[in-house]
Amino acid sequence: MAIGAGILRVPKEAKKGEVVRVQMVITHPMSPPRKDPATGQEIPPHTLTKLDLLFNDKLVSTINMGAGVSANPFIAIALKVEDSGVVKIVYEDNKGGKWEKTADIKVT
Amino acid sequence: MNRRKFLALSAVAVMGLAMVPGVQPAHASTPRLEEELKKRLGVSLAQIKEVPDVKLTAPTIAESGANVPVTVESTIPIERVEHLWIFVDKNPVPWIADVKLTPMNGQVFFSTRIKMGETSNVRAILKLKDGSYVMATKEVKVTAGGCG
Repeated sequence: MAIGAGILRVPKEAKKGEVVRVQMVITHPMSPPRKDPATGQEIPPHTLTKLDLLFNDKLVSTINMGAGVSANPFIAIALKVEDSGVVKIVYEDNKGGKWEKTADIKVT
Repeated sequence: MNRRKFLALSAVAVMGLAMVPGVQPAHASTPRLEEELKKRLGVSLAQIKEVPDVKLTAPTIAESGANVPVTVESTIPIERVEHLWIFVDKNPVPWIADVKLTPMNGQVFFSTRIKMGETSNVRAILKLKDGSYVMATKEVKVTAGGCG
């Protein structure tokens, strides 16, 4: 998969006021700054820096991360749902890439 | 080797293992970690209280340092929690990730996979609304480092 492609998973249905788990996996190398062993040249880092979790366009959480997070980051976080709506994640990396992903959740 | 000799030898070997100063107290810190805590939290490790309310789940022995699953949970109500950090003491950059939490999260729960260069303490630190910090610490043994 291309860099930045993501999978966002939430339960399809939930009860009002339930705390659900939002899970995501994003394809990204998350490489730290390092020296090329052959040429000794600096290779700049390439990592995701920020991920916003939104529910119905309201900001729930902001996750900041660095090269300490494993390649192809997996993240799970809690979200309390009161109404049906759209879970959205917006994430960016240090090379200017910006992506977003949405998932619907039906609250009964 | 007869039985008596074997027993004597293994007794010596076990003694030797027990002598290895591998286990460090939870509050032993590294300069890199202190520096990072000062920069990002503005407090030193001694000012952060270790509490049982914060639960940090991580393997005791990690198969690979490149991919260590870490889960932070807490029974502290979300309304009282502001921010969450994950640190690894001995990594080149001890700061791993931090999360701004709001009441819309409903619960303190965060899980991810992290890189570890060597055997080290992993720490989950929560900032509470009243300005205090609490944490949970767990030592993870790493056989193959994952920082390049």
